[in-house]
Amino acid sequence: MKNKIKVSLILILIGISCSSLNAQKRFEDRADEDTANWRYEIECVGTGKQGTTLIKVWSYSKKPQVAAEQAKKNAIHGIIFKGVPQGERGCVAQPALARNANIEQEKADYFNAFFNNGGKFQKFVSLTTNGAIAAGDRIKISRKEYKIGVIVSVNKKLLRDELEAAGIIRGLSSGF
Amino acid sequence: MKKIITILFLAFFIGHIQAQAKKPTLMVVPSDNWCITNGYMMQFANQGMIETIPDYKAAFQQSSDLLLVVSKLNGLMADRGFPLKNMESVIKSLNSYAAEDALRSSKAGSEVAESPVDRLKSIAKADIIMQLTWTVNQTGPKKSITFNLQGIDAYSNKQIATAAGTGAPSFSAELPVLLEESVLSYIDEFANSLQDHFDDLFENGREITIRIKRWDDWGDDLESEFGPEQEELGFIIEDWIADNTVKNRFSTTDATENMMIFEQVRIPLYYTRNGRERAMDTRRFAKGLSDYLKDTPFNIVNKLTTRGLGEATIFLGSK
Repeated sequence: MKNKIKVSLILILIGISCSSLNAQKRFEDRADEDTANWRYEIECVGTGKQGTTLIKVWSYSKKPQVAAEQAKKNAIHGIIFKGVPQGERGCVAQPALARNANIEQEKADYFNAFFNNGGKFQKFVSLTTNGAIAAGDRIKISRKEYKIGVIVSVNKKLLRDELEAAGIIRGLSSGF
Repeated sequence: MKKIITILFLAFFIGHIQAQAKKPTLMVVPSDNWCITNGYMMQFANQGMIETIPDYKAAFQQSSDLLLVVSKLNGLMADRGFPLKNMESVIKSLNSYAAEDALRSSKAGSEVAESPVDRLKSIAKADIIMQLTWTVNQTGPKKSITFNLQGIDAYSNKQIATAAGTGAPSFSAELPVLLEESVLSYIDEFANSLQDHFDDLFENGREITIRIKRWDDWGDDLESEFGPEQEELGFIIEDWIADNTVKNRFSTTDATENMMIFEQVRIPLYYTRNGRERAMDTRRFAKGLSDYLKDTPFNIVNKLTTRGLGEATIFLGSK
């Protein structure tokens, strides 16, 4: 009898952990869809040291942790395709690295691998506050969804070098 | 057999070498406004009028802020594969060349030939000037920087790139820190507009200016009729330019019996010679017109001179 209870408890625990893993995966997939659908906002925060830029990324998710992690992906996505709008006085607008509006579709294979979980995009971005979210940057926008603001630092120089080497964007001196 | 394979390989390799367009040179130059506002200027009397011109040498020798900004810009542009000409070094080398040439003589005792035009031409120049201006704004204890970087095409005199704005005011930051921040903030915007210019250049050709002039001892002028159809020389030249420009784009700015000016002449970036592509430049393009006029049925002797990458003048009548 005792053994039966043990086995059933173990099975229930495995079931719960599987479903929570599945839920996590679902949230991450949803966050990736939001990124692809441009559902995030970018704000200019400041100029970092040479070659880096500080931006605040607002991402959406049911789970604040997922949104905070997705902020890294959104930051790189935004820097490549969207550009950063002008922030408060002194924070200058930055043009998107990609100058061809259709490049995301034209080089879909490259970008799918690049933005994959654990993909190369992680090399160029880091969270500035160890992932801590300020109280004002955690906004509950509906019963089930959060809007989370995270400040990240993007190494634009390395990112530009990577995209130039992959033939995604042209360097200033290419053609000469 | 090995030799044949090597020759075949070399022929294949040479045939596939792609010509590259001539790379424009860029140089950061402090604007007249900045030089005069900061006291780096010279004054001289020009026919009774006092003229003020910037003293670049003094500016580079005395302003550490200028050196910092120029060095930062040089570094950032070099990162993008576009190292800039350093104006301070160019001024220094021009002075030392002049001194060396003045002292040099051949074994027979001859001096280095230099016409007044050669002397006039030995100034610091680049194809694209990055004109730099900044002003320090002070409101009480707060300081901010208004930064203006203009990319000016030295030959068409068009502003082809820009980045300008005012930085965030600060109570504590020192001027060099504010300047460094401005350079880092605006360089992307500037490089982006420069890239637009280069894209246009690759699509529509390089923009140059061609001038036609005549020596006053030449018996004919640009209204004289030439060729089998007895057409005016000015129109013959205009037709040649229309036939040889990219998308037939050019504008005749001025035309009299003594001179013609063609601006916004879009020349192709490459031409083919002996089956191989080569980079086209203003001199090579204008040489085509010069040869066309020299050949029959026109037989007009002429002299071709150039100014940097973007301007050529053909003098008609003699060399």
